[in-house]
Amino acid sequence: MASLLDHSAGGQTVGYSFSQSAAAPVKQHGFYPYTDNGGSTLGITGSDFAILAGDTRSTSGYNINSRMVPKVFKIGGDEETGEGAHIILSVVGFAADGNALKERLDSVVKMYKYQHGKSMSVSACAQRLSTILYGKRFFPYYVTAILAGLDEEGKGALYSYDPVGSYEREQCRAAGAAASLIMPFLDNQVNFKNQYIPGSGEGHALQAKKAEPLPRDHVQELVRDAFTSAVERHIEVGDHLQMLIATRDGIEEVFHPLKKD
Amino acid sequence: MDKLVAQYSRPAHQNEFYSEQEQQDLNESLPPLSLKFSMPPIDNSASFLRAMTDDHSNPSCPIKIAHGTTTLAFRFQGGIIVCTDSRATAGNWIASQTVKKVIPVSRLSRGEDKPSNDPTPGLLGTMAGGAADCQYWLRYLSQQCTLHEIRHKRRITVAAASKILANLTYAYKGYGLSMGTMLAGVTPQEGPALYYIDSDGTRLPGNLFCVGSGQTFAYGVLDANYKYEMSEQDALALGRRAILAAMHRDAYSGGFINLYHVKEEGWVHHGFDDMNPIFWKTKLDNGEFSNVTSEL
Amino acid sequence: MRGPTIIKAEDDKTRQLNKHTLMAFSGEAGDTVQFAEYVQANVSLYTMRNDTELSPAAVSSFVRGELARSLRSRSPYTVNLLLGGVDPVTQEPSLYWIDYLASLAPVPYAAHGYAQYYCLSLLDKHHNPNISLEEGMKLLERCTDELKRRLPIDYKGVLVKVITKDGVKVMDFDNDRVVRSA
Repeated sequence: MASLLDHSAGGQTVGYSFSQSAAAPVKQHGFYPYTDNGGSTLGITGSDFAILAGDTRSTSGYNINSRMVPKVFKIGGDEETGEGAHIILSVVGFAADGNALKERLDSVVKMYKYQHGKSMSVSACAQRLSTILYGKRFFPYYVTAILAGLDEEGKGALYSYDPVGSYEREQCRAAGAAASLIMPFLDNQVNFKNQYIPGSGEGHALQAKKAEPLPRDHVQELVRDAFTSAVERHIEVGDHLQMLIATRDGIEEVFHPLKKD
Repeated sequence: MDKLVAQYSRPAHQNEFYSEQEQQDLNESLPPLSLKFSMPPIDNSASFLRAMTDDHSNPSCPIKIAHGTTTLAFRFQGGIIVCTDSRATAGNWIASQTVKKVIPVSRLSRGEDKPSNDPTPGLLGTMAGGAADCQYWLRYLSQQCTLHEIRHKRRITVAAASKILANLTYAYKGYGLSMGTMLAGVTPQEGPALYYIDSDGTRLPGNLFCVGSGQTFAYGVLDANYKYEMSEQDALALGRRAILAAMHRDAYSGGFINLYHVKEEGWVHHGFDDMNPIFWKTKLDNGEFSNVTSEL
Repeated sequence: MRGPTIIKAEDDKTRQLNKHTLMAFSGEAGDTVQFAEYVQANVSLYTMRNDTELSPAAVSSFVRGELARSLRSRSPYTVNLLLGGVDPVTQEPSLYWIDYLASLAPVPYAAHGYAQYYCLSLLDKHHNPNISLEEGMKLLERCTDELKRRLPIDYKGVLVKVITKDGVKVMDFDNDRVVRSA
């Protein structure tokens, strides 16, 4: 196209870039209402707590737009302080969709409390989140969500989702940009995958190490290790680590610094 | 033209808040599993969805939806065997190795993972294709089955339940749903019944079905050894062995072997077992899988 | 096959390379027979010059080398091969799976094309290295039965050849038996 223009100008180059667009055909612009804001989240449960964590970096392409955009939220609590909440949600992917999803689930949980006079159980909230996500089956939320809290028996509960709402209760889950870096680490350190009891047998008789709930301080260490390692190898992860911990006494929030490069 | 005018004649900020309908939905105490879906504001929503989510035709698509794989079910003299793997993949990424691809349908059987060994009445559905599609629509189906139970004071037949699902998938044909499911159940009216339903709107009754990317491998083992008259023990072993064959040859299948038996009194769970020890036991005890050697 | 028409129903898609080695082929029309006969000629040339039979392992390496060379030429052969033989010295049988991209794998059993998807799981279950010829034929029948049941196309039967230490012979095989699905 450019060469055509040049010839019509008698061999002289017109120095304006926009001169091309006048002759260019009308551009078919695709409908692409998404962007990936990067970052990673992870969740681990224990016998009486559940932790959701995420980094706070927000990127678009190779630009870092902000170093403090939290990805983990309290659901159903006070608007400002989040007080009174007992469910936590992490969303990673497209931040705008993530926020919309959080707002929507938050209002659902609040309406439930106003109408029933009791707080929503985590299992009910998990099913509801699934139907919210599936409601946009044909125009999906570009997010991977993890929901956590304490179940009816007071044990840690964690539910992981795909973008259109298939869900499963698990012990641990990593999501987002560095999921493929963190998840294998969690398989090994939380579910003890590929760990065997030394001296328990020869060859195929070797006994696999059974997974059991881990104590809270140990889990917090695992989360920090997972993120410091992910920061070393993934460009979209860094700045700060935000952790929300759901326990019998409510939700605690902890921040740790991560590398800023 | 009207459409065009409508598009531009309303204030641009109107969509920024919850619509009246949405506000009403929030106020309803029991939000139904609705058939109202939000659609992208363009003419061809199916091609948009395909561009965003279909990793088969577009490996770099931004939204990776979890997919399920090998499932099988067959009828025999003692009822119906239902068996699946447990792997979910999003592209080449193994999203999960612990998916429950057998889903109890109807209210009575929603006991989740009960410890008891008693048979649980109700139907079983299987999940292949989009994980969310199967989970959502089988839940919708169990809602309909429960309503049927309340209205008619008796349990729904498998034929009727499968027709509800097939009509549903046919109504959404072309929208981009992806599911291949089997419904299994024993009812007084029809005895042991097995149906295959998929997102094209197909609904077929039959003796034996395998669904998913590993279906051919499962068919290979199943067809060669299947007899309607076989014992319960043999049927359970065959179901397990067919899934193992598919897990071994199909990279999209793997994880745990999930085995169910549907009888007159209801369904019984026969384990969710890691395939690895089962594979080595099968190989070393029976001399099968001779392509796997310790030679380098 | 050409377009939607079957030209010949009972075409022999194998070539004997020497006394104990047989090669089966599928792929692009024209390429298949040309390549197979080229290999056949070269193997017998080697035998005449050196007065020794090439072992199946040696033949397979030669075939792979030729395919790899062809792959990097202007018009590569698009041929998938199965090469079976009995070593004239050790009397050990062997089977090689070779595809048009010149991958070579020694295997206990193999298939090319859609047949893989249906037959490999069966072979995984029923094959063992000490299988007799009779059991082998039974197993082959299980495979063809499955193909008759599940393949969307009618493949007009199979031609069965067996390679032993005494050479290659054609086996009787009933291709007309009707198989019913469950």
